Amino acid sequence: MTVISILGFILIIIGLWGMLTQKNIIKMIIGFSIIDTGLHLVIVSIGFIKGRTAPIISKAVEGLDTGKNFIDPVPSALVLTAIVIGLAITALMLVYAVKLFRFKRSLQIEDFEELKW
Amino acid sequence: MVNPIYIFITSLGAAFLLNLFQKINRKIADLIFFLTLAVINYISLFWFYQLLQGYEAAKIYTAGFLPPYSINLYLGIEEAVFLVLINLLGFFSAVYLYKKFREISIKAMILYLVLIMGLNGLVMTRDLFNLFVFLEITSITTYALISLEDNKYSLTAGFKFIIAGGLVSTLFLIGTIYLYRLGGSLNLDFLVNSGVLNTKAGILATFLLVFALLIELKPFPANGWALDVYQSVHPGIAAIIASASSAAIFFVIYKFIPLMPSSFLPLLAGIGGVTFVFSNLMGLKQTDARRLLGYSSIAQMGLLLAALALIMQFDNLQSLSSIIVIIGGLFINHFLAKAGLFWLAGIVQKRNIRSWKIIANNPPLLLVFGGFILALIGLPPFPGFWAKWELVMQLSANNMMVWVWIILAGSLLEAVYLFRWFGYAVKNTEVEEIRTEAAQYLPVLIFLLGLLYLGMEGTHLVSGADSIYVLPVLLGVILYVLNWLPNKLKGSLCLLAVIYFSYRLLPALQDIYQLFGVVFLIGSAVLLITTFARKDIFKGFYPLLIIMILSLGNLLQAKTSLQFFLSWEFITITSYLLILRGKFSLKAALIYITFSLAGAYLILAGMGLAFRDTGVVSLAGLASIVNSGYIYVLLGLGFLIKIGIVGFHVWLPGAYTEAEDDFTPFLSAVLSKMGIFGLIMLAILLGEPVLKGIQLNYILGWLGVLTAFFGALLAAFQEDIKKLLAYSSLGQLGYIVLALAIHSHLGWVTSIYLTFTHLLFKGILFVAVAGLLSRVKTRKMYEMGGLINNMPLTFISVLIAIIALSGVPPLSGFGGKWLLYSSLLEKGWYLQAGLAFFASTIAFLYCYRILHSVFLGQPKTALRDVKEPSVWYIVPQYLFLFGIMAISMYPNLILKPVMSAVSTYFASSIYWEDYTVISSLGYWNGNAVMMVTMGVFMIPLLWLLFRIKAVTKVKQFNIVYAAERPDRPETTHYAHNFFAHYQKALGFLARPKVTEFWGNIAEVIHSVGALFRQLYTGNGQTYAIHILIFLLISYFILGVK
Amino acid sequence: MAKRFITLLLIALLAYMFLPFIVEVDETSQLNRVAEKYVTAGPLELGAANLVTAVIVTYRGLDTLGEIVVLFIAAVGIGFLLRKPSKKKIAAPKRSSSEILRTGSDFLIPLLILFGVYIFTHGHLTPGGGFQGGVVLTSAALLFMLSNTEARFNKQLTEVIESVSGIFYLIIGILGLILAGGFLDSRFLQLGEMGRLFSAGAIPIIYSIIGIKVGMELIGILEKLRKEEI
Repeated sequence: MTVISILGFILIIIGLWGMLTQKNIIKMIIGFSIIDTGLHLVIVSIGFIKGRTAPIISKAVEGLDTGKNFIDPVPSALVLTAIVIGLAITALMLVYAVKLFRFKRSLQIEDFEELKW
Repeated sequence: MVNPIYIFITSLGAAFLLNLFQKINRKIADLIFFLTLAVINYISLFWFYQLLQGYEAAKIYTAGFLPPYSINLYLGIEEAVFLVLINLLGFFSAVYLYKKFREISIKAMILYLVLIMGLNGLVMTRDLFNLFVFLEITSITTYALISLEDNKYSLTAGFKFIIAGGLVSTLFLIGTIYLYRLGGSLNLDFLVNSGVLNTKAGILATFLLVFALLIELKPFPANGWALDVYQSVHPGIAAIIASASSAAIFFVIYKFIPLMPSSFLPLLAGIGGVTFVFSNLMGLKQTDARRLLGYSSIAQMGLLLAALALIMQFDNLQSLSSIIVIIGGLFINHFLAKAGLFWLAGIVQKRNIRSWKIIANNPPLLLVFGGFILALIGLPPFPGFWAKWELVMQLSANNMMVWVWIILAGSLLEAVYLFRWFGYAVKNTEVEEIRTEAAQYLPVLIFLLGLLYLGMEGTHLVSGADSIYVLPVLLGVILYVLNWLPNKLKGSLCLLAVIYFSYRLLPALQDIYQLFGVVFLIGSAVLLITTFARKDIFKGFYPLLIIMILSLGNLLQAKTSLQFFLSWEFITITSYLLILRGKFSLKAALIYITFSLAGAYLILAGMGLAFRDTGVVSLAGLASIVNSGYIYVLLGLGFLIKIGIVGFHVWLPGAYTEAEDDFTPFLSAVLSKMGIFGLIMLAILLGEPVLKGIQLNYILGWLGVLTAFFGALLAAFQEDIKKLLAYSSLGQLGYIVLALAIHSHLGWVTSIYLTFTHLLFKGILFVAVAGLLSRVKTRKMYEMGGLINNMPLTFISVLIAIIALSGVPPLSGFGGKWLLYSSLLEKGWYLQAGLAFFASTIAFLYCYRILHSVFLGQPKTALRDVKEPSVWYIVPQYLFLFGIMAISMYPNLILKPVMSAVSTYFASSIYWEDYTVISSLGYWNGNAVMMVTMGVFMIPLLWLLFRIKAVTKVKQFNIVYAAERPDRPETTHYAHNFFAHYQKALGFLARPKVTEFWGNIAEVIHSVGALFRQLYTGNGQTYAIHILIFLLISYFILGVK
Repeated sequence: MAKRFITLLLIALLAYMFLPFIVEVDETSQLNRVAEKYVTAGPLELGAANLVTAVIVTYRGLDTLGEIVVLFIAAVGIGFLLRKPSKKKIAAPKRSSSEILRTGSDFLIPLLILFGVYIFTHGHLTPGGGFQGGVVLTSAALLFMLSNTEARFNKQLTEVIESVSGIFYLIIGILGLILAGGFLDSRFLQLGEMGRLFSAGAIPIIYSIIGIKVGMELIGILEKLRKEEI
């Protein structure tokens, strides 16, 4: 448990609230972005080890045991992928919002309920 | 050896390059597109073949490091199966979509290639995060491809999909990262047994992963977005989503099973079961074809999930082949049929299922449509049939009867809406043509053929199957191919086939089985002659008929319960399709198939119980079951529904009446006996079982006599001649059941004797009516009259049949009644005997009515020039007539073989002296009865002839002559409401209470379905909330400690 | 209101559900087996100073390829979605960019391009890499678009570069498969001396390709969206 991961979860919860209660599609997408950000924080926090440094070999860590001084590089690698994927999805959502707006001249989610049952 | 990694390399390379090549030449780009799909198909097929040969599975380590340090892929036989299917679908779907792709943009092809690649990745990867990446690749390409149909519906649906997908990927990623944290690896194989499940957080992380995947399978109720997507996207894309994507996700869940704590499996099974039942329930109210397919898709995936989760919980699984049959069968069935149906939906271009009637103009389309519908419902010869059979057997063997009921109930609901849809498609009233292009039709056809082939293959995997059905189906196909021949030639071929089949089969059968063989096969052969009178072009009639008749024969030679059930289902399907050929039979056929399938499912459940108790599927094994009451009830009820016993008779009048006139004789004279045969077989194997202290035969007897009573009563009040005969037939079957229930030598002899006589006189009556209706174009009896002069031959045979039916001397019916009362009295069932006697008197009423209203009385002006029906209607009548006369004169012709057959099971209680049969209560000499009666009739006849000069001839409209007023409207006609006075007395008994009851049940079920689908408000946000609620409920049900 | 309350309740329950992640999972103090191997053996095996890069480009190279594909299909997908121009157009008021913006961007754009290239070519040595470099390149392009509202990027050129770089990425992957241990193995080139620009096998090449591809894809997306009129 780290402060960062708690913050991450709080962001996830806030984003979810936005996504589930905001009627405006753009606001829902913002909610999703906030969830994503929170998620990225959680991922990064998993790799963190107190008192250790970034896993980059440089003069500063020369001669030290890398296994004892570096944080976990895997979450850092994963979060990069997660960010890119999040970006792709957000972009697609926004384009969808553009398309939907063209049809109805509205961005209210309840204006798009033709299909049901 | 091609490294499977080239699947990714080629498809990505092509995806990157397509845009460039398009700038040079679009044709080259298209070629590359299809080449790429061909290459990945080649690679997966190559590996599939290699692995089948026993080669080692492919382990692909990327970056040259061993797992868990690098991402690894795995390609074993299971993966290969899924890859082959996904890639084949990918190829054929591309062929199907090609025109659309060309019209729109090369970008669609790029997205499509990447989508297929992503699905391949999902199947092969062993790394959690890599799985996530592939999941997102497939999702994003799908989101984009949804806009292939660029309208507000598909885009709205797409947005709802993205919202749901976004939530899912979040959950998946949280689960992944915490599993990495707790398990120290992202590799599936290293996470198993890494101790992650020791903590609550570990279980939660696993749960989130599994739940995210589950949502991708669109479980009820968190699936509103999926339905919208299925409804609105291009059918080619819907096929990919429903089949290929679902397949990949399903496989991923399968991969995850080793990782799951054991408590997940019941949850997954529960979710699958609920999804299966509720989706099918809601499907009942659906009228949009594509959304309907969506409901069906979701239901099928639910069933598959439940089956997988249940199988994994079995303590003792019989064999690997069981798993292959169940999961493989259900999966392939859904995969091919659903894709095919979505494609078909694209070809037909009609949204409302009622508008699908235009398909009837296009026999090739109708054929594939029917095939897919049968496959989806799980009927033979498709893989789904074997899968459902094996699933029910294995569930029963593992004492999961509740699951058997859930699955059968869901299947029945699904069958109802699918058959309703099919019914609409068959009923053609429009001339609108469907444009089919080879590129669109070919994939559909190939998938159907694939289903058929795999269904055939399934035969070898299921124990006790045999290829018993191959001969009928083969003959059916041959006759279908020979459709161009003249009708009479086809009919003769059919007749020859039946005769040859009987010649081979009958000597091989024993005692009672042989007798029923005669009823089924010889009876059918005679009735076949009627069909020679057909003039119109009718595809499919003889093929269906031959499959039905030969399957009846197969029923008799079935050695295992599977063979029996298989033949039973074949008869059910073919008879349904034949009934559906009637002009206005839509509703009747649907009710028929619903009841028939419900009955079949009861039989299936009973056979499951038997399998649990004996461990074998052989029919003879039933005899060894000690506590057989439940099995008897289930199987017996299934058979009784097929007979149309009182309470379940609502399907019978409609089906008999609305079927084509020359098919109704088969239904009444032959098909109704299969239920009787089932009951006798059951009694042979199980004896007289007792359930909770109740003598089941006693109940059976009462059911029989009540059926006899109500059948006769209802028959008396009908205006429609076919309906009258239908109810009459029902009543006669009641006597047969009653006699059977007596369970004594005399009782069974009576029962089988009645079976024979019923075949003869109902055969005559229905054939006569068919002939009559071929001339008279109305079924209302009060619109006929005086036809005795126009159709003397028909009149004579009907007269004889009616005398035989009503049980008065001297004809065979009298013998039947005599035997019946003797056996009832011998048994001591006096009350039943009384009621049966009362029912016979009512039978006189309707018998008289047929004669009077149709043949006697005033000829109607409109029918003055009507002629005797075609000779093909007369021949079978007189063949049967000959039979009646023969056994009336010489009852021992029939009684001797029946008695000796029954003696195998009971000591004889009657014996013969020359032509006299003697029971403990009296004797019957058919010859003497005949002579005496003849004498009794001869004297008045002679007297009349002597007095013939005193007869005055009158003109037709001399109203003094008869109590008819021919100038009045028909409703005031004498023959209308013929038994009004009886109706006053007994009419309250004839009110359609039972029909109302079943109607209410159907209404309630439909309303419940309508109620539940209110959940799907159409609001994307609400759907997201559904997912959240579903998540929480599932988690708290799991109750992680 | 009731719906909001229910949603609040649900989210509260969700927070409660997530509690084990907070309570049970304590801070790490040890590297797990996989990470341990990456940080200890990574420098020797791959010769990259930036171990995160080593993980991204080589150990988990397939993910990164997938990531590139995700961006690629997002770009294609956006183009596909917006293939038809809007029927009803709201004419946005056109005005040219301000003096400050134009002067500032003239100054910044070359620097940004240089910086972007630096980031992706030095991904194996310093923080950053192909994605970051690509994004910096894109920001240069964005600045250009803002300051020159009329100018257009050559769509053909960006698409060709994008496709070609994608193909190169695959070819390098195949070279790894043929010449070294597996698909995307970066060791088919000499590892060289750690800390040098030309070291760590094929990692700098891969990251440069990624940088260019990402840059071109993002520019494509921007260009597509920029043309859009709602």
